[in-house]
Amino acid sequence: MADLIVKDVALRLGDNEILKGVSVAVPAGEVVALLGPSGSGKTTLLRAIAGLETPHSGSIAIGDRVFFDAARGVELPAEERGLGLVFQSYALWPHRTVFDNVAYGLKLRGVSAAEIKTRVEKTLSQIGLGHLGARYPHQLSGGQQQRVAIARALVYEPPVILLDEPLSNLDAKLREEARAWLRTLIVTLGLSAIHVTHDQVEAMAIADRIVLLDAGLIAQEGPPTTLYNEPATLFAAEFMGSNIRLDGKLVENSGGRATIELFGERLTGIARTKAAAGGKATGIIRIERVRCGSTPGPNRLKMELKAPMYLGERWELVFARDTLTVRAYASAPLEPGEHYVEFPAEALWVF
Amino acid sequence: MPIVVYRLLVLGVTTLAVVAPLSLVIYQSFLTAPFFDPSAQMGFLAYSFVFADPDFWQAFWTTIAIASGMAAIAVPLGALLAFLMVRTDVPGREYLEPLILIPIFVSAVVIAFGYVVAIGPVGIFSTLAKDILGFVPWNLYSLLALIAIAGLTHVPHVYLYSAAALRGLSTDLEEAARVSGANPFRVAVNVSLPMILPAILFAGVLVFFLGFELFGLPLVLGDPQDVLVLSTYLYKLTNKLGVPSYQLMAVVVVAILAITAPLVFMQRLLLRQAQRYVSVRGKGLKTQPLRLHGWRWFAFGAIVLWLFVTVVVPLFGITLRSFVVTWGEGVKLLDVLTLDHYRELTEYPNVIRGILNTLGIGVIGGAVAVAWYTAIALAVHRWNSGWTRLVDYLVMVPRAMPGLIAGLALLWVFLFVPFLSPLKSTMASIWLAYTIVWLAYGMRLVSGTLLQVAPELEEAARTAGANDLRVKRDVTVPLIKYGMLASWLLIFLIFVREYSTGIYLLGPGTEVIGSLLVSLWGTGAIDLVSALSVVNVVMIGFGLAVAVRLGVRLHG
Repeated sequence: MADLIVKDVALRLGDNEILKGVSVAVPAGEVVALLGPSGSGKTTLLRAIAGLETPHSGSIAIGDRVFFDAARGVELPAEERGLGLVFQSYALWPHRTVFDNVAYGLKLRGVSAAEIKTRVEKTLSQIGLGHLGARYPHQLSGGQQQRVAIARALVYEPPVILLDEPLSNLDAKLREEARAWLRTLIVTLGLSAIHVTHDQVEAMAIADRIVLLDAGLIAQEGPPTTLYNEPATLFAAEFMGSNIRLDGKLVENSGGRATIELFGERLTGIARTKAAAGGKATGIIRIERVRCGSTPGPNRLKMELKAPMYLGERWELVFARDTLTVRAYASAPLEPGEHYVEFPAEALWVF
Repeated sequence: MPIVVYRLLVLGVTTLAVVAPLSLVIYQSFLTAPFFDPSAQMGFLAYSFVFADPDFWQAFWTTIAIASGMAAIAVPLGALLAFLMVRTDVPGREYLEPLILIPIFVSAVVIAFGYVVAIGPVGIFSTLAKDILGFVPWNLYSLLALIAIAGLTHVPHVYLYSAAALRGLSTDLEEAARVSGANPFRVAVNVSLPMILPAILFAGVLVFFLGFELFGLPLVLGDPQDVLVLSTYLYKLTNKLGVPSYQLMAVVVVAILAITAPLVFMQRLLLRQAQRYVSVRGKGLKTQPLRLHGWRWFAFGAIVLWLFVTVVVPLFGITLRSFVVTWGEGVKLLDVLTLDHYRELTEYPNVIRGILNTLGIGVIGGAVAVAWYTAIALAVHRWNSGWTRLVDYLVMVPRAMPGLIAGLALLWVFLFVPFLSPLKSTMASIWLAYTIVWLAYGMRLVSGTLLQVAPELEEAARTAGANDLRVKRDVTVPLIKYGMLASWLLIFLIFVREYSTGIYLLGPGTEVIGSLLVSLWGTGAIDLVSALSVVNVVMIGFGLAVAVRLGVRLHG
């Protein structure tokens, strides 16, 4: 199987520039997550790959099969691209049984009835619904419907399977199970997949590589660990994880270290900006890296503990100073009053 | 077959069917003689003749008066009825709803005949009133009575649009007014109805427009007084000069279209505005009916009184008349009861054919018409192209053509185009005329159903490998099957009721109940007319019962 290459795709819907030149490569056998807030263009990009939206520039191809090329005026209709697409709403045809839903793609490809039967049954048993072929979609639970939608997209062995927020219609608990199930299925079958989601945890769990989109452009791409631990931009840093934002003045920036000043105190962290000292800067740190101390020290701010909250497996502490609110986790509650909150230098990014 | 070919084919045929009759009428209006007359030349002679005829202007102003009067009666009553039915706890609302819509589905000529035999000079109720009071306190054959009846029978049209708008309105606004001390009537007048003003305005223009389409009522009720409206003026023109005066008829048609076309366009704009107004508000809100307390039964009584006057009186009148030998002063009911009129119906082969043809046009013709409407709707469905606007405008053309005119225009097409002539005396001509006249209505029914198909169901089939036509066949059509069945039922009701469209096409082989009624009425065969009317009402009643039973929404 060949790689899916998306090059400089730009797309307008009405007067809205949805995609402003996006390039993505999906190597065979890899799962890529398109991650971004709503309106970032991730679903539009997926639909453009599927052939349901038409970009006005760029190209999309798998190996030497060109799906779309604006420069050469090539546009393959959706039905001739041979991709598998799983819709957010599942889009199961209500007038067809589960078996017929899954079998439709094979029927269109002129596969013999006997072979359709074996292949559909094999796919249904792979997704654990072998016994439900005769049911209609409305007789299934949400989780089962979602599996049928995946089976329908898999059965004719598409080179790439496209998943449009396939888990977002499931309730929270089911979603975590389905996430693990889906990742296992994709790895076991050795599929190439593009998975659209706005949930960063889901993206990190499922994908080999994440493409983070912001307003129609790629903000950052790379393996989940890179995106989480080495965000390239302020947007990427803030989008991943739960964070604390410290707005201050940049007082020093050299040798990969940057220092910001707020409340007249200095915090040093990893420089993610090339700006010279003197301007404004923002420090970002993941909540789980914030620590609490009882004495002053480097990279510590004096703050007042407002409200300790018990979350079950840990405590969440809310500190405040003027307009700044900082949340931190602790294994035991602290006494209300003044504390020193530490922002470790190796975990603080300065943008 | 590629989808492009399908689209071009469907749109091409539809455009031809819609534009050809209209063009022929306009062309004919600029000729000095009928188009088949070799001496015919281009010119404005026909225009100057018609515009010099005082009867034309008389008919024109009468039409304006009737249309305005109708709107003045139907709009306030319809809006108030909608408020009572949608917003308040009037008793028996679920039973009243289908009854309210009856005047929409019963043929206007049948209603007109019903009024003549019920409250005409020697009508059943008139003689009763004379026995008790010594005189008849009403005069059916007056312009005022015509306006009143036209207004009252068009209340349901206003009701439908106002009710739809009211259902989309949040109730807390009304509750706030109630708490502030307004009684239910004031709540309606000060809060609810102003909020749905765009919808009411639309309904008002619609009713005014329907005033120009009016034919059955003025034909039956206006004739004895020589009250002519534009449509009856046109109808009389056929016989006025002895020779076929097509050019004069064409001019009258153009004059009518010059008024109705802008009205249709205006309705389109208003409807958009009304829909925008409603969609701003949250839908699906749980609504608590406004409690009327003492007013409850008063409101109920008012609705029942309206139903009595508009539905019961004419239908009871025509039914009773169909079972009696004669009626007049001093006649005792038991002495005159008979089934002879129904027996008589079977003695006329054209009446038998008319009944069978009516059933055929309703059942088979209705199905084929829905198939055609679906074909058009599918051709533009999910078609991202400016050509879809063509269909919007195409649909508006026949909407502006009252049935009488469309029938006339098609007759001319059949006479004008040599290879179509053999179709003229078959039911195919009637089917074509009906299908074109009801194009807008049918398209609205089918498109409404198509709107409910989620786009991703079709996109899923596309990505699975199905081309456009395959998607329509395998996914879209199976999903709208029930919507199409419902449309079929509604089109059946409309086609069975229709009377004006078939008048000019009436001939041996093309008889339908509606046009037969008009022609029999002209000969004064009241016995036959009343029996045949009852047959028509029974057919419609049966269709309505099936529709209500299946839970079909009675409006598109």
